[in-house]
This record gives sequence, C-alpha cells and structure tokens, in this order.
Amino acid sequence: MNQHIKKVYVPMTETAFLILLCLRKPNHGYGIVQMVEKMTDGAIRLTPGTMYGSLSKMEKDNIIRFIREEDKRKIYQITDLGLEVLQFERKRIERLYKIVQEEM
Amino acid sequence: MEVKKQFKWFTIFEYEKEQDYLQEMHKSDWKFVKVTGLGMYYFEKCLPKDVVYQLDYNKDGLAPKDEYLKMFDDCGWEYIQDYFGYSYFRKVVSDNGIAEEIFCDDESRLQMMQRLLKGRMLPLLIIFFLVLLPQFLISLFDTHNYFIAAFAGGVLTMYIMISAIFFVKYSQYKSSGK
Repeated sequence: MNQHIKKVYVPMTETAFLILLCLRKPNHGYGIVQMVEKMTDGAIRLTPGTMYGSLSKMEKDNIIRFIREEDKRKIYQITDLGLEVLQFERKRIERLYKIVQEEM
Repeated sequence: MEVKKQFKWFTIFEYEKEQDYLQEMHKSDWKFVKVTGLGMYYFEKCLPKDVVYQLDYNKDGLAPKDEYLKMFDDCGWEYIQDYFGYSYFRKVVSDNGIAEEIFCDDESRLQMMQRLLKGRMLPLLIIFFLVLLPQFLISLFDTHNYFIAAFAGGVLTMYIMISAIFFVKYSQYKSSGK
C-alpha cells in the first residue's frame, strides 16, 4: 500500500467503503446501489454521479478492476490491493468501535 | 404545443443556480426542452411539477457515453442533453418530498469541482495570462488605448471575481469533507 492509497483511502468515505465491500463479488454500479440500499434498510442510497466518479477513480487507483461489460453496464471486482485496504479500514473501525464501547 | 424561449446566462461555475432555475421553471409549468447557443433555453408548456434538475461535469462520461448514461437511467434519472461539457439530468421529486441529487457526499461534489477546474479553469487561466493581461498592460501603459484597457480590465475583473467565488465554494467543500 503506497502513500497515495493511504492518503486517499485511510480513512475512506462511507461510499468507498460500501463499494469495496460489495465488490468482493463482481457487480456493476447499479447492482451496488441496490445492495447497499438493502444492507442498510434504505438508510443509504448511493447516487449515480457519486457512483460513477468513485468507480472510475477506484479503477484508476487499482483497488478494483474492470471485468467485463454486460448490457451496457460495466462489471467490476475488488483487487488484492483493494482487499488489503478494506481489511485495514475494517481494523480501524473495529478499534474505534471498541473504544466507544469502553468509553460510553 | 406552446413553447417559450428565454435567454439566460450562467457562468460555467453557476451550475447550482442553473439547476434551480430549471426546477423553478418546471414548477411554474414550463418543462425544459433544450439549451443551445450562448444560453437560449427552450421550454414547453406542461403541468406544474416538482422536478429536480442536476448537471454533471464529467469528460469521462462524454466518451464512453453508453455505460455512463445507463447508470443514471438505472437510478431513475432522465438524460436530457450535453452542453459545454455538462450533462443535464432530471428526476421527479418523490411523493415523500425527498429531492434526490446525483451526488450523495461532499467528496464526490468536490471531485466534480476538480474536474471543472481542470477542464475549464486551466484553459481560461492560459488565455488570462497570455492574452488578456498583456493586452491590458500594453493598452494602459504603452498605446494608451483606454477603451481597450477598460474592456480587458473589465473582463479580467469579472474573471477574477468568478474564480474567487468558485474557490471560496471549493474550499468550503474541502474543509467540510474529510
């Protein structure tokens, strides 16, 4: 994990976190929107402008990769680097969660 | 069908104003059809409706257009047209009154501004330093053509003001982000 990746994705936005989480299995942008809506009981609805921008940026940063196109939808999947970043973020959140439980 | 033309000028950074303008028009029963030339807006008579208009500036989206538009279409946004690098979208405000936007976090709003900066601001900056500024100084101190000096000066001032407003907005987003 280089400096650029650390700077941009540690910590990462909620949007980036959810996208990475969903892309452990191949999926397209709209599929991710639907998955997130289901996972969060409708609390988080990702939007197309944000989604499109995030996916392009994450592909450029090599934390997800383009697999194929299906019916004009680009399908992506997380890369090894992406998984590493996601694990890193998970540990960070777990640490915070532990602290808040002890403190409150 | 009854149509209406209205000339309106928005600077490249006033996309929020433009969105509000189109939404207001739709609310007062004029549905946006297209914009052409230097800012001629065409509307057609419709039933008044609360419709959100959104502009995206994404050069990426202009090239592999299909999958870009597909994503917006999947999410229920109607694509209207492209104009000066912007893509125009609209969506009816749902019954529960929640007006959706095409961006859902400040990070991505900021990224759109950055694309705008790169795509629009930098080319303008080059014109600014290579043409306008020398022209202003030459007319003022060398040829003493005050008419041209005033004109170049005016354009310069406008440019600086627009940039300043944009940078303030940009830094506000930046500091409210992560």
